[in-house]
Amino acid sequence: MMAYIVRRLWQILPTMAGVILLIFFLFNVVGGDPAYLLAGKISNPEQIANIRKQLGIDEPYWVQLWIFVKQVVTFDFGSSWSTNEVVSRIFATRLPASLMIGIPLLVLETIIAVCVALAVAYVRGSFTDRAAMVTCTVAQSISILVYIIVFQYVLAYKFGWFPVQGWGNGFFENLFKFAALPVLIALVVSLAPNIRLYRTFLLDEVNQDYVRTARAKGLSENRVMFVHVLRNASIPIITNLMIQLPGLLVGLFLIERFFSVPGIGREVILAVERSDFPVIKAVTVYVALATMLANLAADLMYKAVDPRVELK
Amino acid sequence: MTNWPLTSHPTAHLRRVLTSCLIGGVGLSALALLASIGGCGDTAPGAAMGSNAVSPVTAADGKKVVRLEFRAAESGFDPATAHDLYSSIVVDGIFDTILTYDYLAQPAKLVPKLASEMPLVEDGGKRWTIKLVKGAYFSPHEAFGGKKREVTASDVAYSFKRHFDDSIKPVWRFLIDGKIVGLNAWFDKGKKADGLAWDEPVAGLEVLDSHTLRITLTKPDFNFSYVLAHVAMGIVAREVVEKYPNDVQSHPIGSSAYYLKEWSRGQKIVLEKNPYWRGGTWDFKASGKDPYDEVIVKAMQGKPLAPIDRVEIYPIEEAQTRWLAFKNKQIDVIHIPEPFIKQAIVSGKVAPELAAEGARVQRLLDPEYTYNYFQWNDAVWGGSELHKIALRRAAAMAINREDEIEIIRKGNAVRAEFLVPPGVAGHKADFVSNITYNPVLANALLDKFGYKKGADGLRMTPDGKTLTFKYTSTPTAAEREFDELYSKNMAAIGIRYEAEKEKFADSIKREKRCQITIRGASWIADYLDGDNFMQLLYSKNIGESNNGCYKSAVYDKLYEQSAVLPDGPERDKLYIEMQKQFEADTPWVLGVTRYRNQMIYPWVVGYKKHPVLLADYLYFDVNMANSGKGK
Repeated sequence: MMAYIVRRLWQILPTMAGVILLIFFLFNVVGGDPAYLLAGKISNPEQIANIRKQLGIDEPYWVQLWIFVKQVVTFDFGSSWSTNEVVSRIFATRLPASLMIGIPLLVLETIIAVCVALAVAYVRGSFTDRAAMVTCTVAQSISILVYIIVFQYVLAYKFGWFPVQGWGNGFFENLFKFAALPVLIALVVSLAPNIRLYRTFLLDEVNQDYVRTARAKGLSENRVMFVHVLRNASIPIITNLMIQLPGLLVGLFLIERFFSVPGIGREVILAVERSDFPVIKAVTVYVALATMLANLAADLMYKAVDPRVELK
Repeated sequence: MTNWPLTSHPTAHLRRVLTSCLIGGVGLSALALLASIGGCGDTAPGAAMGSNAVSPVTAADGKKVVRLEFRAAESGFDPATAHDLYSSIVVDGIFDTILTYDYLAQPAKLVPKLASEMPLVEDGGKRWTIKLVKGAYFSPHEAFGGKKREVTASDVAYSFKRHFDDSIKPVWRFLIDGKIVGLNAWFDKGKKADGLAWDEPVAGLEVLDSHTLRITLTKPDFNFSYVLAHVAMGIVAREVVEKYPNDVQSHPIGSSAYYLKEWSRGQKIVLEKNPYWRGGTWDFKASGKDPYDEVIVKAMQGKPLAPIDRVEIYPIEEAQTRWLAFKNKQIDVIHIPEPFIKQAIVSGKVAPELAAEGARVQRLLDPEYTYNYFQWNDAVWGGSELHKIALRRAAAMAINREDEIEIIRKGNAVRAEFLVPPGVAGHKADFVSNITYNPVLANALLDKFGYKKGADGLRMTPDGKTLTFKYTSTPTAAEREFDELYSKNMAAIGIRYEAEKEKFADSIKREKRCQITIRGASWIADYLDGDNFMQLLYSKNIGESNNGCYKSAVYDKLYEQSAVLPDGPERDKLYIEMQKQFEADTPWVLGVTRYRNQMIYPWVVGYKKHPVLLADYLYFDVNMANSGKGK
């Protein structure tokens, strides 16, 4: 097991090298020159050159690349070119807000989607199943923007059940007051595809011989569904869950923007608009790293839920 | 075949399955939902309307609070580096400038702020003597040993010099670049010596005593008073700058009415009244041009300046969110988002539901305009040959600004006619441009100058090459509307249209190198004088602000003559001549000047949006239910 983990961790290095090269290439080819944005309304070539010098983008490419590598190794991405805020501070102050929405969303979405999928898989082909699938298909076809605009208008403004926008200073105030509607919207959006997906995973298992055997042995339906079927369907469910985990780092941009949530998603978009390379670099590297670690964690969890899985 | 379980009917188990697992999942979300319903009630509606209306905010400490909105996130609060409007609004409340604007005067009028009186201008506009008010203090800070510190003339000189400190990436240097005797030489010497000598005096920034500064300009400049009122020229303390050499923007310590109490970047900015501020009395006269001025004067005359204790500012990027927050009374004043103007203003009046709340609207033209420039160096579109002028003129006559105003801008703009927009010194309200929408004449002009149509019905250049109106813009929905309009307009005169899309930063880069053929741009006044607009076509500003790279010896000469004159009939004559030269060459097509629509709840008293005065929250008041209690 340990050898497997060490080997997988080693494999992160070449992958990360590829990520670094790709980001560097993309920024320099399509990223735009931030010096012109930072120079203000009226600037002359000398001022532009000075800004380029200070940002280090007048250096040869290999020097810039080497600086980037050092930043990745030390996890010190310097300061934002646009606001001068230290990048690590940006993450420290914006990530909690994104996680405040992302974590409850992931937990609720997984629990509800798995339960509903179990239920509809259990009654496969019935009116309930078909109605659920049609509802999911329709719900999936509607843009998240529509959900946001309608829910914000109806639930927050018209009914006054939630704040229209904003963010507070207290943990519980944010979780139960300001994050509630964003979580609800994101939940509505994400449930439909997940229910369909999990239903498919579960249906693959429901028809297996071991399920028939379990029932023949007289096990309760709860035990059959929750212990036997769910456990065997959990590998693709874990895979899906792990794929979503790194997304927590980039937040839910649209939702954060509409509800004025000071999360990392808003910050990433601002960074892209401002060609703020230090922030873009940090986010991309962190997400890449999180993806690789989540994949590793998923593999280890496969082994935990299914002892037949071998880690080679 | 269905997959019923062998032991019982499915629906019974379905209920059990759902019940047992949804209790966990749904229960959690329901709990959160219920808690949230119980938790949001701090913006209770129902404040009485009219002059007795009070803010729905209940400040436990009895402080007066106003809640404002920003359309975009701020970047930081250093006067020399704040490059966005929103940061500047905050900067203006924290830092003092030498002069500021009269709150009500129309046309705009400068008044002293940190100066004790208006500067003494001598030597034909070259020598400016500024006397500072006594008793102006920087807020207490550890850089001053935890105490307040008086603002002196040396601070003013230092703040001016700071615009030449490359290490902070200053963005407003152009305001004083080359204008003050010895300042550029001091900068050049510092560059060679690898460091600026801050203690070394500059001849043009002469500190006569602790509260008197004499500024000597390299040439007469009657507009320099506007520079002295510009927010970028806010006075900073050297000790604070040296304590935070790269991060003054997070530590703004000024001497004006407010200080930064709380800042959650991009989310909330809280300014509180500076207890060490020297104070002042609200004493402005009605402009005579706006009847509402009388109401403001009656409500505010004699009150202390900056009567509001706490200014809360919320950057909210999305238009719907801002609008709903305002309607929900989470914001007291709003710049009505364009998509909601027709909901807010119906038949020229405040919409009934908002009128019932006592909300009012202030509509003003911003001191700005949009324009489309043609690249003067372009082989097809640029230059002063007659057929090229005819081509530009034809394109200008083909662009239908009325459609732009009605369809794209939803009636929220007026056509720009003159190079100096309304509200700016030098504007000619009665001027009517010779270049009007006339596609028939445009076609005739193109025919006359040899732009023949090919078999496809599209015109070629006189030497038989493809003729394309290549318009550069960003890939946004708003720009796509302009693509549609211009494409239709050019089709009407047989010119091929091509939309070139690129990132804004790339456009700016190419623009500075004179590489863009045609692009739309806008310019809003840095200060309310025509010179700020006329300089956009001066050939020595190519690579800086003359983004079409227009070159005209006649225009340049007229500009140079106008630049040393104060606002007045003599300069106005020159501006008319410059306008004529501009129309004769048609290096741009003037676009529109946009309206700004502010909506204000009735508990905000004395509010009036000024065209360039940014910290307007120093000049209005808020009615609070429990104002004064607990202070």
